Amino acid sequence: MHRKLLVAGLTVAALVLAGCSSSDDAATDTTSAEATTEAAEETTEEAAEEEVTEESAPAVTMDDSDCAAPENYCIGLVTDTGKVDDKSFNQAAWEGTLLAADELGAFTKYVETVDPKDYLSNIEQFASKNYDTIVTVGFLMGEASVAAAAEFPGVNFIGVDQFQGETVPNLTGLIFAEDKAGYAAGYLAGLMTKTNKVGGVFGTDTVPPVLYFGEGYRNGIAASNPEADITIVYHEPNNAFNDPEWGAAEAKKQLTQGADVIFGGGGNTGNGALIEIAKAPDAGTSVFCIGVDVDQYNTVPQAQSCLLTSAEKKLVSGTSDLVLASFDGTFPGGNYVGSTGLAPYHDTEAAVPADVKIQVEEVIAGLDDGSIETGVVK
Amino acid sequence: MSSDGPAQTDLGFTDPNPTLGPKYGPVKAIAIPIVSVLLAFAVGGILIYFQGVNPFTAYRVLFESALGDSDGLLRVMQKSTPLIFTGLAVVVGLRVGLFNIGAQGQLTVAAIGAAWAGYHFDLPTVVHLTFALGFGMLCGAAWASIAGVLRAYRNVSEVITTIMLNSIAIALVDYLASRTFKEPDQPISRTPLISDSAALATFGVIPSGFVIALIVSLFFGWFLIRTTEGFRFNTVGLNPNAARYAGISVKRTIVLAMAVSGALAGMGGAVETMGVVGRFEPAFNAGLGFDGITIALLARANPIATIPAAILVGILRTGANSLQFETGIEPEVVDVILALTLLFVAAPIVSRYIFRINAKRKSKSKGRS
Repeated sequence: MHRKLLVAGLTVAALVLAGCSSSDDAATDTTSAEATTEAAEETTEEAAEEEVTEESAPAVTMDDSDCAAPENYCIGLVTDTGKVDDKSFNQAAWEGTLLAADELGAFTKYVETVDPKDYLSNIEQFASKNYDTIVTVGFLMGEASVAAAAEFPGVNFIGVDQFQGETVPNLTGLIFAEDKAGYAAGYLAGLMTKTNKVGGVFGTDTVPPVLYFGEGYRNGIAASNPEADITIVYHEPNNAFNDPEWGAAEAKKQLTQGADVIFGGGGNTGNGALIEIAKAPDAGTSVFCIGVDVDQYNTVPQAQSCLLTSAEKKLVSGTSDLVLASFDGTFPGGNYVGSTGLAPYHDTEAAVPADVKIQVEEVIAGLDDGSIETGVVK
Repeated sequence: MSSDGPAQTDLGFTDPNPTLGPKYGPVKAIAIPIVSVLLAFAVGGILIYFQGVNPFTAYRVLFESALGDSDGLLRVMQKSTPLIFTGLAVVVGLRVGLFNIGAQGQLTVAAIGAAWAGYHFDLPTVVHLTFALGFGMLCGAAWASIAGVLRAYRNVSEVITTIMLNSIAIALVDYLASRTFKEPDQPISRTPLISDSAALATFGVIPSGFVIALIVSLFFGWFLIRTTEGFRFNTVGLNPNAARYAGISVKRTIVLAMAVSGALAGMGGAVETMGVVGRFEPAFNAGLGFDGITIALLARANPIATIPAAILVGILRTGANSLQFETGIEPEVVDVILALTLLFVAAPIVSRYIFRINAKRKSKSKGRS
C-alpha cells in the first residue's frame, strides 16, 4: 500500500519536474514582456532562415587560448535566459556577431544564461580570457553589462536593447527608433487599406517604446493616406503585455468596424490581436495584420495567414555594425541607434502591389537618412 | 487518493527509521543515492560523448570551475543555500506523509515578502535582519498553510493544491513586483534594493545564509528524531490511524507540519533575497523549489543528508555555464543528470513494487491451482 503510493508520488514528482522548466519560462517571459515590450513574440530578421547549426555553436577545435595577442580577435556573446536559437533577440544578436566574426576572421562563441543571477559571472568568463568584444543580449542584463564595463575597461561591451543613461566609452547600448519602424508600417498600411479604415492594438502608452511604435504608425498612415480613418487603442498599464484576450477582442472590434489593416504590438497582448485577425476569412487577401520588433512570421506562426510584415528592429545588422566598430576603433560608447524597417512580406508578397513596395522602400530610406521625420515627440 | 477518512495520508513510510521507501540498512541507505548519482553521471557522460566531447574533460571542467577557485566556491554555496531550505521543506512534508510540491510557490512569496520587509523599513541591523527573515518565513508558512488546512479539514490532496498555489504565487508576485512594490522610474518589474541593514553579509567565500542553512538542517535532524513533536510528525506519516489511536491530533499535526514546511521554503526565499539578489525580481528564483524535491528524494527524507544533496546540485548548477564556455556542451545537460539521478534513486522503490505485484500474482495463481 505504502509503496504503491510512494511510486505514485514519485511519478508526480517526475511530472512536476518536467513541468517546472515551462513554468520558469513563463515567469521569464512575463518579466521581459513587462520590462521591454518585446515579450514572447520577438522574431529575427531575414537572416533568421539561416539556422543556428552545430557548426556555428562554440567549436571546441577553435582556439581562444590567446585572445590577448594582437593578431587574435575574440568576440563573446552572453544570451539572456533562453537559448541562442530562440528566433528572437538572442538569435538575431548571435547572427550579427557571426556575420562580423566572419568578416574579421575573428573567433567567436557564446554562453547561454540559465540563471539570471549568473549574468555577471558569464560575462566575466569571457572578459577574464581577454576577449576583445563582448555582446550581452537583452534589457535585463543592463546592470550586469554596466558592472562588467567598469570592471574590465580594456574590453568593449555591446548591450543589445540596453539603453545607456550614462555614457561609458567601452559600453554601447544598441537601441532602436521605434517611431521609424512604426511610421514605415503605417505608411504601408495606409497604402494597403481598401476600406480606408486602419487599426492598431498596442500595449500601454505609458511605456515609451510602445508609444513611439503606435504614434509613428499613426503618423505614417496619415502621411500615405490622409483620408484614412485611424483607430489606435492602448491597453491600460496593468498587465499591458500579457493580455491576449483583450488584444483579440479589440482586434475583432476593429475588424467589425471595417478596419482591414491592423497593427498588433505589445507582447502577448499584440500577439492575441494578430492571431485573432489571422482567423478572419479574408486574412491575407483583403485583411492584414502587422507584427512588431522582429519578424513575427517566425515567432507567431499562427498569424502567418494575415501577416503583411513586421515593424522590425534590425538586430542582426545593428549587432554586426557595432562589433565591426569595436574592431576598427570607432566604438561609439553611449547609445547607438540601429536601423529599423519592415520584415519580408512572406505569404502576402503577391498581395502587395509593386508600386506600393517601391513607395515603402523609399520611405524607409528617407527615414534612415533623416529626410523624412516621423513627427513623434520623444 | 484515499477518501475513506479526512486524515488519511497518501504517502507513508514503511520504515520507522527515517529513510524514504523500503527498509534498508545504513550501508544501503547511503550506497543507493551514491550509486544513483554515479550511474547518472555515467549516462550523462555517454550523452556528452555523443556531442563530441570527452566526458572526463567535461566533468573535470565542471568540477574545477565550481570548486577550483574562491569565486566558484562562493557561487556553489550561494546556489546550495536556498536548495538546502527547499529540500528540508520537502523532507518535513514527507515525514508526515505529505508531498509538498509547493516549495517553489512558498519560496517565491517569501522572497518578495522579505524584499518588502527589507526595503520598506529602516531598522537597526539585528532587528531588521530578524524581521525580514521572520516575515519571509511567515509568508511561506501562510502560503503552505492554505494547502495544510485544506488537507487536514477537507481532505483535499496537498499535491494538487500546492501545484495550483505555485501558479497563483507566480501571478501574485508578478502583480506585486510590477505594481505595488515596483521600484519606481525604471521599466523592469522588480522591487527596490533592500536596505543595508537587511542584507545578509558574506564572510570571505562563506555566505552567512549558508551557515544558517547548515544550522537549520542540523536542528531538524535533532527535531525530527529526538523531540515529541518530531515523533508526532513521524507517527502521523507512518500510520495516521495508529497516531489518532495514540492520542495524537492528526489534523493539528498536518497543519503544523505544512506550516513548518512552508516556513522552511520561505526561509530559503528570504535568505536568497537578503543574501544574494538584494531585491525581488521575478525570474531570479526560478526552479529553486523544484530542485528541493529532487534533493529531498535523493536525501531519502533525511534532513542532514539534504546538505550534501543540495551542495551536489549547487556544484552542477555552478559548473554548467563554464561547461558550455569551455566545451560547448549545452548547460541543460545538468538537468539531464539530475533527472537521471532521481530516476535511479526511485528505481529500487519502483522495482520492489513491481516484484511485489509479481509475487502476489504468483501466489494467487498457485492458490487457484
